[in-house]
Amino acid sequence: MEKVLEVKGLSKQYKKGVYASQDVTFDVNKGEIFALIGPNGAGKTTTIRMISTLLKATEGDAVVAGHSILTEPDKVRENITYLPDEAGAYKNMKGIDYLKFMAGIYAPDAAKAAEYVERGKEICALGDRLNDKIGGYSRGMARKLLIARAIMPQPALAIFDEPTSGLDIINALEVRRMLKDLAQKEGMSFLLSSHNMLEIEYVSDRVGIIAKGHLLEIGKPDELIKKYDAQNLEEVFERVVKQ
Amino acid sequence: MKFFNLFKKELKEMLNVSTIVTMVFTVFVMIMAGDAMSGAIDEAEEESSSITICNFDDTEFTKAVLNFLENPAGGEKNEVEYVTLESDDYVSELKRLDLKNVVIIPEGFAQKVENSEQAKIIYVSRMTSLSTVSNISTGSSSAMSLIEAAVKSAFYTSKVQTGALKENEVTMLENPVEIEEHTVVADKSEKVAAALIIAATQMSQMFLPILVFVLVIYSSQMLLNAVATEKIDKTLETLLSAPVSRLTVLSAKMLAAGVVAGLNAIVYMFGMSKMTSSVSNITTDSVDGLDEILKNLGLTLSAGDYVLVGIQMFMTILITLSISLVLGALAKDTKSTQTYIMPVMIMAMIPYMLSVFVDITTLSPVLRYLVYAIPFTHTFMATQNVMFDNMTLYWAGLAYQFVLLVLCMTYAVKVFTSDRIFTMTISFGKKKKQSEEHE
Repeated sequence: MEKVLEVKGLSKQYKKGVYASQDVTFDVNKGEIFALIGPNGAGKTTTIRMISTLLKATEGDAVVAGHSILTEPDKVRENITYLPDEAGAYKNMKGIDYLKFMAGIYAPDAAKAAEYVERGKEICALGDRLNDKIGGYSRGMARKLLIARAIMPQPALAIFDEPTSGLDIINALEVRRMLKDLAQKEGMSFLLSSHNMLEIEYVSDRVGIIAKGHLLEIGKPDELIKKYDAQNLEEVFERVVKQ
Repeated sequence: MKFFNLFKKELKEMLNVSTIVTMVFTVFVMIMAGDAMSGAIDEAEEESSSITICNFDDTEFTKAVLNFLENPAGGEKNEVEYVTLESDDYVSELKRLDLKNVVIIPEGFAQKVENSEQAKIIYVSRMTSLSTVSNISTGSSSAMSLIEAAVKSAFYTSKVQTGALKENEVTMLENPVEIEEHTVVADKSEKVAAALIIAATQMSQMFLPILVFVLVIYSSQMLLNAVATEKIDKTLETLLSAPVSRLTVLSAKMLAAGVVAGLNAIVYMFGMSKMTSSVSNITTDSVDGLDEILKNLGLTLSAGDYVLVGIQMFMTILITLSISLVLGALAKDTKSTQTYIMPVMIMAMIPYMLSVFVDITTLSPVLRYLVYAIPFTHTFMATQNVMFDNMTLYWAGLAYQFVLLVLCMTYAVKVFTSDRIFTMTISFGKKKKQSEEHE
């Protein structure tokens, strides 16, 4: 199976000798949704930020679509999109202008950029509200716009931190379905991070349980539930962490 | 009870450690600036009270007048320094004798008084800056008043009391001494009163520092807010994970802030030049040929001078932008951005206030070099340096600004292209929060 992401012994150590994440190893296949789950401060965001080339790894490496985050960060960025948790957009910009602005950064030419924008419009489904300034959007609308921005360039790997944060139940369900569709029908790969384990159980093909900077367990949600004789992923997490 | 709880909560939110540190720091800096200014004012006052006389009229009458000057009736004794000018080339003579000003009593002074004609004294002063305090000369003013009083008194004794006063002598009694004023600026001299020059240049002297001050604060606030808002809203993470180099993002940000600040400067300059020209026209129109005199003294800026001043302003903006970029990266929330603007504000405020009131070059060495260490000082002094031909100081200031710009820019680039853009914070006393690091 083609691997879109290979993470090998990735660590982030700060000056005081504190590891935010340590020796994290996993991979994501093409068309797969992989989720890192864990409580706040477990090291999910640090790991994701290293893969997104925002933070430099102190040990280990990650290879995205054949490019190392250490030696080819520019190439890595051409193959990923990153959606941070609780991210905002430029409040004085109209929704449509934001899509055009981001498309201009990702697209190699104007025609491709226009194609990305059309796709973005379709994904966010904000209709005429796209002509309004983002500052006037509800949190859910802004999140939908940001998700559309992250998906429209069809990256090899889309990295979402808490993908449905700020969305109501209906919109969150829509997004989860959309992610599954994109992975299954278009072969897009996703690396998600969440502490909402029920959401992850529904949407992910495989999960990695992370706590105190260490990746403790990897597997398919149903297999892990069976392995730990649990009712759901939350119980799995509890048992893994307590071990 | 409810109100007290709410009040306590609001107070805690607003009066945090960083606010208190900023307040204490501001007071400390203000006290320092106040000390610097009072020191400079004291020094200037001491210097301004000195009296220097060059007497070419070796007569008993003039000697008596000078004796009256040294020991005025009912007043304190005056310390008078006597010098001899070798020529009427006041530029070189003042330089040779290292004088700020001199009152010259020409030959025939007593004879004129004797003839009931208006006597003449010449007052020559050297301007080293346009600041308010540096141009005060209380000693010379009182010397001239005392000479006038002495002449009046002598005239009164010899003519009025004898009852032999003619009509022309009555007029003469009203104004017995004509004061001919000469002003030296750098290596040029003109027959004009220094007070008139100060009045004519006061507007430009006041408004250029305001312009620099506004520019520094405006551009700093703009970039600091731009970086801080992007960081707080996490749009910076989105942008820096996109296929675009961090240097490109940084350059675009700085260039945009620079362009807006530049536009702002042009608009301000246009408005202020219109305003100052209207106001200074009132002064220059009142004296024939004052425009020409100012030009001859080098107190008007040529196109080349504007370029030199402009270069330092540009340097200031670039230094401000690089400092603001680092400060913006430190911001954790919108409240902290307000706090972080303070150092820039204070750095701009100290030289701004000093340049308006005192001649920075006359401050005590320690204070002077402390003020010179503030990069914006050199821009506040740029006009004065160009006008008064202090080109060594101008180029030294520019070189210092350039070195500092390279250092600040290198650090700003380092911050922006490393993890620090996301992890850098300032903690006041408390253990550095590392929540980011553990997520």
